[in-house]
Amino acid sequence: MIDKRLFDLPGMKKYVVILGILVFIQAIAIIAQARALSIAIVNLWNLQSINTIIGPIIVFTVAFLARHLLTVAENHVLFPFVEKTSGDMREDLMAKIFRLGPAEIDKRGTGNIVTMALEGIDQVQTYLMLVVIKILDMSITPWLILLYVLFLRWEQAIFLFAIFPVIILFMIILGLAAQSKADRQYEGYQWLSNHFVDTLRGLPTLKQLGLSKRYADNVYEVSESYRKETMSTLRIALTSTFALDFFTTLSIAVVAVFLGFDLMDGKVMLLPALTILVLAPEYFLPIRNFANDYHATLNGKNAMSAVMDVLHEPEMSQREVLPDLKWNDDSTLKLNQVSLTYPGSKEPTLKDISIDVKGMHKIGIIGASGSGKSTLINLIGGFLSPDGQNQISINGQPLPHLNQANWQKNFLYIPQNPYLFHATLAANISFYVAGASEAAITSAADKAGLSDWIKTLPNGLNTMIGEGARTVSGGQAQRIALARAFLDPNRKVLLFDEPTAHLDIETEAGLKQDILPVFNNHLVFFATHRLHWIGEMDYVLVMDHGRLVEQGIPDQLAQRNGDYVKLRSEMEAADL
Amino acid sequence: MKNLKKTFENDTWVMPYLRKYKGLLVLVLFLGFMTFFSGGALMFNSGYLISEAARQPASIIYIYVPVVLARAFGIARPVFRYVERLTSHNWVLRIVSDFRKKLYQTVEQKASAIQRSHQTGDILSILADDIDHIENLYLRTVFPMVIGWLLYIFMVIGVGSLNWGVGLLMLLLLGIITIVMPLASVATNGVREFKQHQIQHTFYTNLTDEVLGLGDWLISGRYNDFINLQKKPIKSIAALRKRDHYFQWWRSFLVQIVILLTTLVLLVWSANQFTSSKSLANWVAAFALAIFPAVSPFVNMSQGASEWPVYKRSIERVNALDDGGVQPVEQTSLAEPFNQLSINNLTFKYADGNRNVVKNISMTIHPGEKVALLGPSGTGKSTFLKLVVGDLTPSDGQVLINQQNILSLQDVRSSLFGILDQQPYLFDTTVMNNVRLGNVNASDQQVKDAIAAVGLKDLIESLPDKYDTQVQEAGKRFSGGERQRLSLARILLQDAPIIILDEPTVSLDPITEKKLLDKVFELLHDKTIIWVTHHLAGIAHVDQVRFMENGQFDMQGTPQELYKTQPRFRQLYDLDRGRV
Ligand SMILES: Nc1ncnc2c1ncn2[C@@H]1O[C@H](COP(=O)(O)OP(=O)(O)O)[C@@H](O)[C@H]1O
Ligand SMILES: Nc1ncnc2c1ncn2[C@@H]1O[C@H](COP(=O)(O)OP(=O)(O)O)[C@@H](O)[C@H]1O
Ligand SMILES: [Mg+2]
Ligand SMILES: [Mg+2]
Repeated sequence: MIDKRLFDLPGMKKYVVILGILVFIQAIAIIAQARALSIAIVNLWNLQSINTIIGPIIVFTVAFLARHLLTVAENHVLFPFVEKTSGDMREDLMAKIFRLGPAEIDKRGTGNIVTMALEGIDQVQTYLMLVVIKILDMSITPWLILLYVLFLRWEQAIFLFAIFPVIILFMIILGLAAQSKADRQYEGYQWLSNHFVDTLRGLPTLKQLGLSKRYADNVYEVSESYRKETMSTLRIALTSTFALDFFTTLSIAVVAVFLGFDLMDGKVMLLPALTILVLAPEYFLPIRNFANDYHATLNGKNAMSAVMDVLHEPEMSQREVLPDLKWNDDSTLKLNQVSLTYPGSKEPTLKDISIDVKGMHKIGIIGASGSGKSTLINLIGGFLSPDGQNQISINGQPLPHLNQANWQKNFLYIPQNPYLFHATLAANISFYVAGASEAAITSAADKAGLSDWIKTLPNGLNTMIGEGARTVSGGQAQRIALARAFLDPNRKVLLFDEPTAHLDIETEAGLKQDILPVFNNHLVFFATHRLHWIGEMDYVLVMDHGRLVEQGIPDQLAQRNGDYVKLRSEMEAADL
Repeated sequence: MKNLKKTFENDTWVMPYLRKYKGLLVLVLFLGFMTFFSGGALMFNSGYLISEAARQPASIIYIYVPVVLARAFGIARPVFRYVERLTSHNWVLRIVSDFRKKLYQTVEQKASAIQRSHQTGDILSILADDIDHIENLYLRTVFPMVIGWLLYIFMVIGVGSLNWGVGLLMLLLLGIITIVMPLASVATNGVREFKQHQIQHTFYTNLTDEVLGLGDWLISGRYNDFINLQKKPIKSIAALRKRDHYFQWWRSFLVQIVILLTTLVLLVWSANQFTSSKSLANWVAAFALAIFPAVSPFVNMSQGASEWPVYKRSIERVNALDDGGVQPVEQTSLAEPFNQLSINNLTFKYADGNRNVVKNISMTIHPGEKVALLGPSGTGKSTFLKLVVGDLTPSDGQVLINQQNILSLQDVRSSLFGILDQQPYLFDTTVMNNVRLGNVNASDQQVKDAIAAVGLKDLIESLPDKYDTQVQEAGKRFSGGERQRLSLARILLQDAPIIILDEPTVSLDPITEKKLLDKVFELLHDKTIIWVTHHLAGIAHVDQVRFMENGQFDMQGTPQELYKTQPRFRQLYDLDRGRV
């Protein structure tokens, strides 16, 4: 029930002590408040004049105010700590995202990560605020009250003390039963909300099949059957709250009744009896508060686990092994029997890949889909790390992986859908080159064939593009990525991953004319399954099921009757 | 208030359901009221009980009734609470079922059978979240508020009937925490909520932008820029949260002060009212003890109220969905089998667009003809297809099947058109169920035959669960080519005379593409086909190619003719075959 990680948070111990003292004083205020109220009531009961209750009422007022001011004070004390902890968590998370890199983040889903950084951390904050004080309250207040009641009348104290473990026991038993049911229900909930979104997403398909109208009833029925199931589990889940409620409320009634009998027998005076009665609800209040917020804090607890998981995720270390590098005609990149297995896969996706590159080349990577082209490009880009150590080297320097800061300064990566930031066109083009001059940007845009389009834009290079702003077609997005390459003469390596696969043939033909010049004096890796690009390459890697089955100069490969020839013939269409 | 009125002016999402489930609603409110009533009554009764007992009456008879009542209230309170929670959840879940259906139907009306290529699920998730919000509106705001007000009225009337002056004081004091403070919270939070929404939105969009472009950030090595970009919104969010928290703490404190004043008033009043005789004096303790449990429901009313702006946004968003419904056209069915599709002077402009996306297009297609449509993206090919199937209403011109307008044939549309697009959807259920959607009356054998026809028999039968294999979310279990084939199997079952293909191979590699196209044209050789494609693979399958540019056709002819006579076509074709 109580999260141990809480007390391991850095700096928490000090706050626990301070808060503990405040809660302790607060418990004394609660007792004083009850005592003063009881005295006032007893005086009135004895038909004494109203003057006799002025004193007690003042004490009551002071104690009451002290009690609630202390609540505010506790929050004030704790808040800076919680704020710092959650703020640090948010920043750590950002830094971690950067270090984990796109492959890991993709796996978790962009939406998940973003929600975690925003709502997740908010929930952690609420959780910390609630739960620390509640736990302290629960572990101090009831016991002080009990001590005081013991001092007033031990029989009632023993009853109140005895009932406590019973409550806890019932809560645990029922709570556990409810929890396992609730877990299952949560899965049901997930399933339902997925089903609903699934149906909404599939609406166009339902419409195509003429089923969309009829499906409305299906949506309703699924939701209703879920309701019935939920209600049956909810009945159990609520039973645990019911048990707590039942025992505490009934205990108060029992205390009242027993006190009544004792009073009749003259075994106790009204004042102590009344004080006990006033204190009885206060005795149960902390545990009830804790239980009431328990479900509310569950979200925060889960959010905290999720954030911790990400923060503890292993990341590629040794990013600085490679010394300063400027790729040139003499530079070499060697892959020696490299294999790569995705986490969670049994089989390696890349098997025994060996490549030896020196200087500037145009290297095509071809193969059926699923053969490992993208994986290889991601390996070269350092987004994925190979299974073995030191099978890769640059300029003879063995490297654990290519996620090397100095290697990444040397290349540009152009995927099928280059990402465009929500920023101006100029900022997007100069993303890699801090402080590029406007003239340089314009010239790069021109070389990438963007100038005609830019002329039609209201603000030219300063037009906002990206999500939520002007939409940019696939062909133009490729040209913007290309302009980045033209703008940055220092990045001599270009990694293309099927940049034109989704473009229509006319757009592709136009784009090709602008891409070809950038190939000169660069080391190019170009994964593609469009045949016409192969003609532009001076070296080809043929991939099949994760293996590099053939490599060489295209013309020579065409002479051999190997995988290259086979692949080409499968792709090619017949004459018209 | 004006705001409130505006929110509910054209409301079809909240009020109708309050009315529809009136009975249960009243029950929930009654049970909620009784819960707090029993809580107060228990302490009231207990206070009286021990005061009376302390007089040491001669016989136990004197305290018999309070003893029984103490036990009764002691049991009643938790029972009422338990039943109340069950009932209110049941009530809300019932409403949710209605909501889902309603949301589905609203979205359904506007959905098009031909999707835009990169449709995000975002808007859908937002809508699904809105439903959750409205659910919470009831549980966290409406129920507690109404129950609080009921208790408020009850207490004021109860005390007022004994002493109208004190009743009036109660009316004022408790009015502060049940009416004034919730309203003030809504007002403060309304302004804050607006700002908060903006800051969060900035953070959210920036962060999404950063995460989606993470690869570029990483390669660029701009770690510090990456971190700094979020520093400011993180700070603003922190400041915002801080103010939020401070506001809540002090507001709760203020509520407590009002409770203190109420207690003092009642104490002083009972000191005057009940001290004339011993038996009356027994009531002092009763009133004094009852106050705290009785006012406990008021403590959280302001918090419930301050969540209103969030709910309001959701209510307005779902209500906005209802606007702009399409005018219904009277539906008929097709009198005789399909014999001609004529497109006459078709012109179309999107309501929010500034140009005609389709411009005065005319063509006639006869049964069995196969037409390919090419053109750069954004020229209006998909729009044209939407007009053909009747998802959009043309600004001018018409689409006729056997001289009947397509807009009047929407109810029988699935018997006219089979559609395969870029991302045919597989639902999260079994292969069998997914394929059967093509024709819900098909037998198992027919479904299996269709799957065999598209060449997936061996694959499916090699899976452990065979035809009962779950396709998983959005068909993840299968590759792009396999998903297309499963959809093709659906179309085979559907058996409509006209087949619409909207770039079905755009995400496939050339080998898979070639196999799929061969399969499509082999299986559908006797159908009429309109095929939008992005390049020229498989073009030999069609009788007619049309190029579309800016909403109009320019080049057209058989592929063989075009190859001979049009240099542009020849160049593109050769490029596609890698012969350049
Ligand atoms: N994140 C991943 N986790 C596990 N397996 C993956 C992942 N990404 C790709 N694969 C698998 O690796 C293989 C190669 O994929 P990929 O490199 O994308 O091929 P290509 O780019 O040639 O189409 C495929 O079988 C694919 O299913
Ligand atoms: N729902 C819509 N509302 C407004 N404009 C749209 C909508 N759908 C498409 N468009 C615009 O209409 C034009 C044609 O789009 P579309 O028919 O999808 O082209 P294609 O299928 O040829 O790529 C594009 O400029 C597009 O931005
Ligand atoms: Mg790939
Ligand atoms: Mg389209």
